[in-house]
Amino acid sequence: MGSCHGHQMCAIAAPEVFGSDELGNAKVLITGDIPAELEGKARRAEANCPERAIIISE
Amino acid sequence: MTDTRKPVESLLTDYDIFDPSFVANPYPGYSEIRESECPIAHTERYEGSWLPTRYEDVVALAQEYEVFTSRGILVMPPPPGQAEGAYGGVAAPPITSDPPDHHWHRRLILPVFAPQAVAKYEQSTRDLCNALIDEFIDKGTADAAADYAQHIPVRVISNMLGVPLDMEETFTGWVRGVLENMTDIELRKRSRLAIIEYFLAQVEDRKKNPRENDLISELMNTEVEGKKVPIEYVLGVCNLMLVAGIDTTWSAIGSVMWHMAQHPEHRKQLRENDALWPTAIEELLRVYAPVTMARIVDRDIEFQGCPMKAGDRVLMAFPAANRDPRQFENPDEVILDREHNRHVAFGSGIHRCAGSNLARLEVRIALQTWLKRIPEFELVDPATVTWAGGQVHGPRSCMVKF
Repeated sequence: MGSCHGHQMCAIAAPEVFGSDELGNAKVLITGDIPAELEGKARRAEANCPERAIIISE
Repeated sequence: MTDTRKPVESLLTDYDIFDPSFVANPYPGYSEIRESECPIAHTERYEGSWLPTRYEDVVALAQEYEVFTSRGILVMPPPPGQAEGAYGGVAAPPITSDPPDHHWHRRLILPVFAPQAVAKYEQSTRDLCNALIDEFIDKGTADAAADYAQHIPVRVISNMLGVPLDMEETFTGWVRGVLENMTDIELRKRSRLAIIEYFLAQVEDRKKNPRENDLISELMNTEVEGKKVPIEYVLGVCNLMLVAGIDTTWSAIGSVMWHMAQHPEHRKQLRENDALWPTAIEELLRVYAPVTMARIVDRDIEFQGCPMKAGDRVLMAFPAANRDPRQFENPDEVILDREHNRHVAFGSGIHRCAGSNLARLEVRIALQTWLKRIPEFELVDPATVTWAGGQVHGPRSCMVKF
């Protein structure tokens, strides 16, 4: 697992789940479990991070 | 002009990134190297370099920033004597910085380029694209590279820096001098010096006549640990804005226009489906990633069986990595709704392109605005399209009719 370097590809794939902090690094916008209707998008964010910094746990 | 360069014997041991056929279309060459027994090629040309072509290798190199340093980031060595003189130390931070300085060099500019910060340039970029189209829409023909793409990033950047827009042509000339005609040593030196002298005068002018709301003034007034940042940093970031912010995005926009001119089905998909745009822009950036950066090896090391020596140059061929079939299915195909796309058009690791959100915005607005005004267009003659390559790959002339 890498660390975020601000590619913002998670926010492009799942704007309801990921946003940007002041520096442009990823910020998680939701707390707790990912709502079922956003799971597909969140998985897509995970699969599009060039740093492999996102891990969604079951 | 006769091409006097020595013919390339083997891409694996003698590649020439400035060979005209490689400049125009580097992808078959990347593929040949990538699929060979030696996916990290080497050449003695231009004082020697290594060329990794697989996604996994390029990313691994980018992550190892202590071994693969940013002391030299251009694909050719600097002109002799460049580091001498009063402003010889001016670089292009943070691209040219290594830790520990890299941290504050980058930290200071990141807020300027965060998505929420660049959003404010959306409308002005759209207005600028519309104004460019106004110039040629009635003619039924235009150079999508030279009449359109070329003018967009330079005006956006000038606006951010707070310098007059009538510097456009001069800036473009300097940037081309530094990045495109890299075998012309004198032109490179002259262009770099011109950039530094211009921004030095801008800084001096702001000392006498303070301004607000432009990046040069903001940088001049920035403090780190209670002290104003050094002038070399201010000049370096201005240099970065030109050298990294103009040729690159212009090349990406140009390649996207070239692609769209040949793909009516993609134009149609984008016109009919707004939801497609986010993945489409990433996919176009993947396939047409314009930038190859370099790294300098810090100490002797064997990497994937290659005996790299301290001081060796490694070319970070992000465009090659982005077309590796091990990472991307059907890598040469543009799939606008591609689901899995960990592309590295903006690099990887601590040097991820600081301006990536601005570049994305410019590419999207440029294409959206064009498709709205000129939904149908095609190349006048594919054979007359000309390309730049080496450090930055993209069309320089691309005539289209509509």
